[in-house]
Amino acid sequence: MTDLVITRVFDAPRELVFRCMIEPEHLTHFWGPIGVSTPLETITVDARPGGVFETVMVSDADGSTYVMRVEYVEIVAPERLVWTEPVTGMTTTSTFTDLGDDRTEVRIHQANVPAALSSPEAQAGFLTSLDRFATHLRALSVLGVPEAGA
Amino acid sequence: MDQLDATFTALADPTRRAIVARLARGDTTVNALAEPFAMTLPGISKHLKVLERAGLISRSRQAQFRPCHLEREALDAAVGWIEDNRRIWTERFDQLDAHLRDMQKAAVRKEGP
Repeated sequence: MTDLVITRVFDAPRELVFRCMIEPEHLTHFWGPIGVSTPLETITVDARPGGVFETVMVSDADGSTYVMRVEYVEIVAPERLVWTEPVTGMTTTSTFTDLGDDRTEVRIHQANVPAALSSPEAQAGFLTSLDRFATHLRALSVLGVPEAGA
Repeated sequence: MDQLDATFTALADPTRRAIVARLARGDTTVNALAEPFAMTLPGISKHLKVLERAGLISRSRQAQFRPCHLEREALDAAVGWIEDNRRIWTERFDQLDAHLRDMQKAAVRKEGP
C-alpha cells in the first residue's frame, strides 16, 4: 500500500453512498469536519472530467471561511471518483466497493501530497511511511502532549 | 505551503527520517550521527544540508563539534498536516455515516404501514 489511504465501511448501498459524495444536498450534511459548515448554496458540483467541485467551508466558531476548489478527473458512477487540486497537484481517488448486504467500503487514496512529492521517492510509499513516522514521533513524545482523545 | 513542501521533501528519504528520529532524543554531533548509517561524513553532511534547508535542523556555529539540533516547530507543522488530514476525513466519514442512517430511517418510515 502506498500513499495516504483512509477507508471506512458504511451500512448503506453503494449507489446511495456514491450519490452522497457528489450531490450538494448530501455533501452539505457532512463535508465540513466537526465545527465547520458547508452551506448548500456554496457547493458547486460539475460532475464531469474537468468540471469543478467547490465548497466554502465556514467555521462555526468565528465565521472564517476556507475555499476548497478541485477539478474532477474521472467519474465512474457508482465505483470511482477522482479529483485533483490544480494548485498542488494533489490527487484524491475515492473507490466505492459493494460488500453485499447493503454495505459499502469507501477507500480514499491521496497522492502527490503535496506538489513537491512528484518524485520517485513519493511513488515508493513515502506517505504511508511518513504517516507511521508521525505516529512513531508521537510515541517518542517529542512533539508535545497530543490533545485529549487524540 | 512552500515550507511544508520543503519539509515533506526532506522527510521523503528514509535516512533523513532516521536522522530526525535520532535527533528527537537529543542534540548529536555529526560523527555520532554518521555511525549507525555506515556512511561517510560527506554523505551524512549532504543529508544534513537538506534537513537544514527545510528548517528541520539547525547547527551550532560556535561549538567545535557543531552538534545538530532538531527544530521541532518545523517538524510539528509537517506531522500536524498529516494528522489534520486524517482527522478531517475521519470526522467527515462519521458525519456521512450519521447522514446515511438518518436517510435510511426516513425511507423506512415513508414505506412503513
